[in-house]
Amino acid sequence: MINNLQLHVEHLTRVEGHGDIVLNVKNGSVEKVSWNVTEAPRFFEAFVRGKPYDQIAQITSRICGICSIGHTLASLKATEAAMGIQISDQSREMRKLAIHAENMQSHVLHLGYLTAPDLFGVGSVFPLVNTSLDVVKAVVSMHRVMNQFSDLICGRTTHPVNLVLGGFWRTPSARQISEMRQKLVSIEPTIKQFGELLLSKADALPRFTRETEYIALTSDEEYALYDGDIGSTDTGTCPVEEYRKIVNEFAVPQSTAKYTRHARDSYMVGALARFNLNSRRLCPAAIEWAKKLGLTPVCANPFMNNVAQFVELVHSREESVRIIDEMLSSGLKNERKPKIKPKAGEGVGSVDVPRGILFHDYTYDLNGICTKANCVIPTNQNHNNIQKDLESLSPTLLGKTEKEIELGLEMLVRAYDPCVSCSTHVLKVHFAP
Amino acid sequence: MSLKIFLDDKEVACKPGENVLEVALRNGFRIPTLCYNALYDENRSGACRLCIVEVTGGGRPGLQSSCTLPVSDDLKVSTKSEAVYQARRTVVELLLSEHTQDCRNCPISGACNFAEFCREYDLNGVPVCAECPNQKEGCLLSRGTLCLGPITYANCEAYCTRRGYRCEGCHSALGHENVLKFGLQALHDAGFKPDEILKAAKIFSYDGVKRVETVMRGMGIISKGDKR
Repeated sequence: MINNLQLHVEHLTRVEGHGDIVLNVKNGSVEKVSWNVTEAPRFFEAFVRGKPYDQIAQITSRICGICSIGHTLASLKATEAAMGIQISDQSREMRKLAIHAENMQSHVLHLGYLTAPDLFGVGSVFPLVNTSLDVVKAVVSMHRVMNQFSDLICGRTTHPVNLVLGGFWRTPSARQISEMRQKLVSIEPTIKQFGELLLSKADALPRFTRETEYIALTSDEEYALYDGDIGSTDTGTCPVEEYRKIVNEFAVPQSTAKYTRHARDSYMVGALARFNLNSRRLCPAAIEWAKKLGLTPVCANPFMNNVAQFVELVHSREESVRIIDEMLSSGLKNERKPKIKPKAGEGVGSVDVPRGILFHDYTYDLNGICTKANCVIPTNQNHNNIQKDLESLSPTLLGKTEKEIELGLEMLVRAYDPCVSCSTHVLKVHFAP
Repeated sequence: MSLKIFLDDKEVACKPGENVLEVALRNGFRIPTLCYNALYDENRSGACRLCIVEVTGGGRPGLQSSCTLPVSDDLKVSTKSEAVYQARRTVVELLLSEHTQDCRNCPISGACNFAEFCREYDLNGVPVCAECPNQKEGCLLSRGTLCLGPITYANCEAYCTRRGYRCEGCHSALGHENVLKFGLQALHDAGFKPDEILKAAKIFSYDGVKRVETVMRGMGIISKGDKR
């Protein structure tokens, strides 16, 4: 039993961005535990002001290098909502492919490169090259296919150039799409192999539960990623335009990122939240894997977010193949983009990206110049929940060694797949008197 | 009779009358040059100054252009010292400042090493067009697309434009004003209106937008008061 401990994990590794964990234990009880976001603020909301409507998505895409597709889509949806731009059914389906591609790309990255080392008890993915080469190869081959998929639909693997207001810059050809379908089919055994591995390592995921509110997009038609209403496990659904009532952002001293809360002290977004809300709309294969891996809604173990990501990986692959089949059978059209007339107004766009529900909200003037922007990033919404989970988890770890405590806390934060850089917004300026 | 010289401490055999550049190239050393042409004996003008190397022993020490440096026994030469790098960088920069960068209309576009040297010496002064395979045919500008390639820093292998997407200007507006001028002229000649160009250039950073405005004003495309 550890009685006194001063633990400071400065710049937690294997997450995106910079965050610290601080734990002080005194006389056998936790005196302080906190999740500090130390990264510099990014100012995106400020510097899109004054930019024309057709450049906003290109700029806000740069908020994140991992979910740039999600940011682009949320941004386009917001501008389209503000100006009343309609997109065709084909474009909507194609955008769903884009979000599935990104979902898989990101989940493989997190599970394969960032989480797997914890399950094997090593420090990074590199030692695994010597001990479990087949696993590393499987991860790399999955990641490659998902990158190629993003590349085909979005024009680039990151910071898409093919996604534009009103639809697509250029529709991929039927030949390219069916080649991609082939690759997605051929990757299925590799995903299964990775699933078996996860199954064999499932015991490495700590059993820890804390009742939590889960928030994600939800829809009657499908497992919502691209479109839907905001759903909460506590309070039901509400339209995306009322997102401010859900997120209730506030600032805290230890963080450059804003925190959020809704019905309880904190809420969680991400793969686990989506699973908890929408699991019955998953494809059969994904439901089967969820059962196998012991994931049942409503699951309140944040470590199971990793498992939920894998279940989504299975779902996104199946769903992508289904969408492609539908597209090919109904025939791909080379569509003309609608002519856009800038209009004054406000629009909110929401997409469920790999790390959770994302909101972009823009106000435009008569010339289509952005006058106000607000972006609420998934990791913003998770920070508060990470803090509450740390508070609840750390007392249970005190019987362990210092190293185990550190690893336990790190694994918890990592399970959220936080994207810290995206989330930093707050800047306190002290002006000299 | 055979001589030996030392290139980066490696002994290399050569014949009298040869110059250091040809010996180095023959032995797999990489020395950049624009004006040297092995086919023409007399074409050792030492004009571009890019093939500068540093003599460290066996001769007059210092920086010299290798194409005009005859070999002599036991000559010691460094092809990649810090002084060499800095000298070559200055050379590329000076060439860049005088270069028109009209890659779209240049007869050797696509086969020119200048863009490569700019990259190598950390001077990203060339536009995306220099790396774009669409220069001759299929240029997006001629198809009515406002592509920012002509006024944007390259170094991306023209990833988007070579696949048919317009350049969105990721790397910001070119820094050299006379280089920027040719890009803006290309956009202007392609029939885009000044305010269209200015609006598209808004994607650049504050500095980039300001540069574009200044140059367009200097060219007389926009008048002094115009500002979007």
